[in-house]
Amino acid sequence: MPQTVIYPARRIITMNAHQPFATHVAVREGRVLGVGSLAELEGWGPYELDRRFESLVLMPGFVEGHSHAFEGGVWSFPYVGFFDRRSPDGSVSPGLKDIGSVVARLRDIERGMKASDEPLLAWGFDPIYFGGRRMNVADLDNVSTDRPVLVIHSNFHVLNVNSVVLRKAGIDHSTNVHGIVKDAAGKPTGELQEIAAKYMAYRASGINLAEALSDEAAVWRFARVAQLAGVTTATDLHNELPESTVSGYLQATARDDFPIRLLPAFGAISLPVEEGVAKLRALLPRNNNKLRFGLVKIITDGSIQGLSARMRWPGYYNGLPNGVWNTGPDEIDRLLQAYHDAGFQVHIHTNGDEASEVAIEAVERALLRTPRRDHRHTLQHCQMADAAQFRRMAALGICVNLFANHLFYWGDIHYAQTLGPERANRMDACGTALRTGVPFAIHCDAPVTPIGPLFTAWCAVNRLTASGRTLGDSEKISVADALRAVTLGAAHTLKLDHEVGSIEIGKRADFAVLHDDPLAVPPEALKDVRVWGTVLGGCIFPSPDS
Amino acid sequence: MRRLPFTVIGGFLGAGKTTLLNRLLRATTGRHFAVLVNDFGAVDIDSRLVVAHGGDTISLANGCICCSIGDSLVLALVRVLEKADRIDHVVVEASGVADPARIAELALIEPMLERDGVLVLADAASVREREADRYVGDTVRRQLDGADLLILNKVDLVTAAERADLLVWLEDRATSARIVTAVDADVPIEALFGVGPQDRPAVPGSGEPPFRRWSLTTRQTVDRAALLDALRALPSSVLRAKGILRFADAPLERSVVQMVGRRIDVRGEGPWGIADLRSDLVLLGTPDMPDDATLEALFSACRREPAAPPVQR
Repeated sequence: MPQTVIYPARRIITMNAHQPFATHVAVREGRVLGVGSLAELEGWGPYELDRRFESLVLMPGFVEGHSHAFEGGVWSFPYVGFFDRRSPDGSVSPGLKDIGSVVARLRDIERGMKASDEPLLAWGFDPIYFGGRRMNVADLDNVSTDRPVLVIHSNFHVLNVNSVVLRKAGIDHSTNVHGIVKDAAGKPTGELQEIAAKYMAYRASGINLAEALSDEAAVWRFARVAQLAGVTTATDLHNELPESTVSGYLQATARDDFPIRLLPAFGAISLPVEEGVAKLRALLPRNNNKLRFGLVKIITDGSIQGLSARMRWPGYYNGLPNGVWNTGPDEIDRLLQAYHDAGFQVHIHTNGDEASEVAIEAVERALLRTPRRDHRHTLQHCQMADAAQFRRMAALGICVNLFANHLFYWGDIHYAQTLGPERANRMDACGTALRTGVPFAIHCDAPVTPIGPLFTAWCAVNRLTASGRTLGDSEKISVADALRAVTLGAAHTLKLDHEVGSIEIGKRADFAVLHDDPLAVPPEALKDVRVWGTVLGGCIFPSPDS
Repeated sequence: MRRLPFTVIGGFLGAGKTTLLNRLLRATTGRHFAVLVNDFGAVDIDSRLVVAHGGDTISLANGCICCSIGDSLVLALVRVLEKADRIDHVVVEASGVADPARIAELALIEPMLERDGVLVLADAASVREREADRYVGDTVRRQLDGADLLILNKVDLVTAAERADLLVWLEDRATSARIVTAVDADVPIEALFGVGPQDRPAVPGSGEPPFRRWSLTTRQTVDRAALLDALRALPSSVLRAKGILRFADAPLERSVVQMVGRRIDVRGEGPWGIADLRSDLVLLGTPDMPDDATLEALFSACRREPAAPPVQR
């Protein structure tokens, strides 16, 4: 007879409405055999009583509905961000609070490097917290004037370089290229934006960046970072899925010690649509307990802070021109229809409200042509949608995954520059989603912001910016609703709510194990709730300090 | 270092970009093009001409390669430059919603590339409607505004009057571009991509659309302002010009003049050294290009100081 283990806990928060709280959970064959009191569970027969969680709180394992496995890739390079960030080995990479500290840290690393022309690449930098002071060529020339030095900003759309990189690329005062920032005297400052930044990162790093970001070690690091935050299911929400990546994912997820369930979303523009549909169909039989192919991703516009979001009238608060389509409305229609007809679930990146409108209309048309119940096509980010758009989403069966972390990291910029007070106060509208009945999740978009569902929930509950401004009381949600959004809510947007997202008889034994009770701490302390580790399919994964 | 000309082809979905690229890939110009496309499926290559098909790259018998952009243009471009020794010219198909002029700027930060033209196609039957569309109007306007050479394609789908209206409208809109009309994107490849006679093997009856070339060779120095005036005065039928010139105001320097559509670049390429002190200019265009006598008259004002008698080829 298969073994049964019963875990007593200080408290079990189940996310199951019939039994919201319990003291014991029984696990058999990697699944939840029962939840209740010890007396209620003893009826299942012989068991082993494991008391290791007795003083801890169990929740359903967190589900991160919008992250990228290249979070694991970037950790092969040094982190130089403003905020402390947890690395895959569990150590904390301390935040660097001024440009001098960034330079000092890079100099330390530089001294440890051998070949004199080997490039030095770092990531996570964000100058918006330095009171207007931007990084420049001289700063990075203090790191090295021999090797290329490249510092990628936290948004992954902007790059600072030293003079070695500028010289190699032939960039000087006479280079008139959009995205090459110049000072008042017309000299390039070393800051490159958008396509110029992206090109230079690949070109001047001299590193096979695409490979470094997506090798098998990267997916392991990603899984570890996620697991340390209490996540048991995470998406890799845009991937071309070349065979090398697929086999890396298969190998990793075949191992018992791989700590998360991984859901890659196939980037719809990677292949002609017929080939893409065929590719995805062929991948489905390769799914296993920890790896699920079948999601599709369409990217419509850019980002709000990158000034590339597609906005409806009246556009950017600072008067700058509307953003750009990554995939135009006609193409969105065509791609969506094809994957919709083939029965796949499509996740549509929309930052600006015009992009959301186009996506909603595309789903409406697809449904007119091919009626389909419970499609759960999901708008990802959907940061600017207004109440009318949420009502349409509800009517059409569209789900939403809101970018709550943006409220903290870029909320001040949105308030002052990009959206203005009115729209900033209603952005990432969890309250409206709840009121209109749109099934919703909240997310981090790692590596754009760190993975950490308790922090993400804290953002949705408190709506505080980095400077401490509250963005819109009416869109705040309760701690209980936020915790639901990072568990069952996110599972619903991934069509996995029958398997994960709550601690309930028959579902997978995936738990987040917490030191503190998130429903008992003050709402403003939600982000400080400590994670002991996770349980995945009954296997226990403590974090290194537990 | 040899720099590869870098051409970007833009235009909204359905404007005819793929048709033009198919013409380029089929052409036997003698020049080895690397063509980066969005959708491999749409490229129509005779399988007998394919010498190798490896994942995201197809190699053709004419020496061209066709590469799939996938989901990252910059990455595809970086990868193509690894094969730089086997190619002469890089052509990128911008996506239907991209701004091709922005993409062309990559050549200004990549020492292996030299910015060539931004060619933008517009569908005569739908460009006005697209331009007025609430979602994509501004995208279409950015594309048209960024063109060096505008190809008003599918003019067979509109009446003569509509076509005339369209041309007036486009000239108003895209003042910096030269405009040619076409059916099925049938524009002479040689003229479009500046394939000089030295590149071109003799292929009688190759079926390529006819084009005209005119050239000027002179041992007199050339007046810079007069030359630029003459180039600007050329009608739209002249698609491009290239010259190595000895300007009167810089007689010791080889000056390279390049015109693609309406865009004119002039740059110094160092001293003449032992090269023949001679100015050469070549114009390429459609068969409607002005006749030799007209062009000769137009450019006669450029010649300075009497020297050896001009040689017209």
